[in-house]
Amino acid sequence: MVTELNESNFDSFVNDNSLAIIDCWAPWCGPCRRMGPIIEELAEDLKGKAGVAKLNTDENQAIAVRFNINAIPTILVFRNNVLVDTLVGLRPKEDLLSALGFQ
Amino acid sequence: MEADVFVIGCGPAGLQAAIHASRKKASVAVAGKAASSGAYGAVIENYVGVSRRPGEEILAEGRAQAESFGASFLDMNVISASAADGRFRFVMEDGTEVSAKAVVIATGISRKALGIPGEKDLLGKGVSYCAVCDCNFYKGRKVVVVGNDSEAAVSARLMTSYASETHWVRWEEAADPGLASKALDAGAVEHRSKPKAVEGDGKVERLVLEDGESIPTDGVFIELGARSSAYIAMDLGVMPEIDDTIRIGADCSTEVQGVFACGDVTGRPWQVAKAVGQGCVAGMSAADYARRLE
Repeated sequence: MVTELNESNFDSFVNDNSLAIIDCWAPWCGPCRRMGPIIEELAEDLKGKAGVAKLNTDENQAIAVRFNINAIPTILVFRNNVLVDTLVGLRPKEDLLSALGFQ
Repeated sequence: MEADVFVIGCGPAGLQAAIHASRKKASVAVAGKAASSGAYGAVIENYVGVSRRPGEEILAEGRAQAESFGASFLDMNVISASAADGRFRFVMEDGTEVSAKAVVIATGISRKALGIPGEKDLLGKGVSYCAVCDCNFYKGRKVVVVGNDSEAAVSARLMTSYASETHWVRWEEAADPGLASKALDAGAVEHRSKPKAVEGDGKVERLVLEDGESIPTDGVFIELGARSSAYIAMDLGVMPEIDDTIRIGADCSTEVQGVFACGDVTGRPWQVAKAVGQGCVAGMSAADYARRLE
């Protein structure tokens, strides 16, 4: 199950996971809806290796502004509390795994 | 209007689907513009019985065949689609509504990117391909919408509700005049030139046009062509593959009952012969499905 983040648990999630992968999405965004199942699979594949979560940018606009999100879907990648990568756009799981250094 | 079978796309696949569905006595309506088909500008020389013939001619003759069997052509693109109560509903560019028992998606493949300098590098840093997805991030900011067709007009109008300034860059009048007027009346500022480059240091700062004009902007929304097959499919409840293709069964059915697909939209090879073969199957399957509902 992919954790749903909001203003109250975002920072602690990033802090608690040495590798945190956060899928930023919104309900009306077609590509985001297609990304959903891919993120679910990614979470399953990376169990024990990374924390995978989702952030609804519609309901959490302050966080979107904080990380300069201008397009969704966007995946934020944090290592040890530092934003190390921002992956924009719909992409297959294999691409994500390779961008994250798992392939 | 009402139809048993609604075919979206009038390339080789859509035409063949229209021919076979109308031969089965289904009432058939066809959406789309022939000039958008990949076959339109091509010369076909590897289709059985056709040694060398412009695609444009094949499409014109195919349309005449479909019309002779009773299919009607709307010469417009679909703006939105929905599914409810076992029927499929569509809104066309001029506002016409179509209700159908079965749908054939034969939209082909569409180009999304402009291929200009800066476009790729600034993706997610101001460059977007989905106004509906990203409009919310541009409240009170300046944006440019790029595209000739109705989809661009709809996006430009949408952006006027969010952005402080909306510019619309187009170089051809392919959009429905009514939708174009709505965008311009809502305050979109029109520029008539092709885009040349997206520029900015780490984020979009301006769009440079071929006529030399430079538009200062925070965002560039690229909306080329008609509403993409992927979005139409999702409106109907069909989830496209990651490469925007639609998965079909042997009878050209999709995961949603009553929705069929054929031609380039189902994946490679992008060949007239394959499109026509699938179009035949999809048209017959859709007509059979519509009849079973009676």
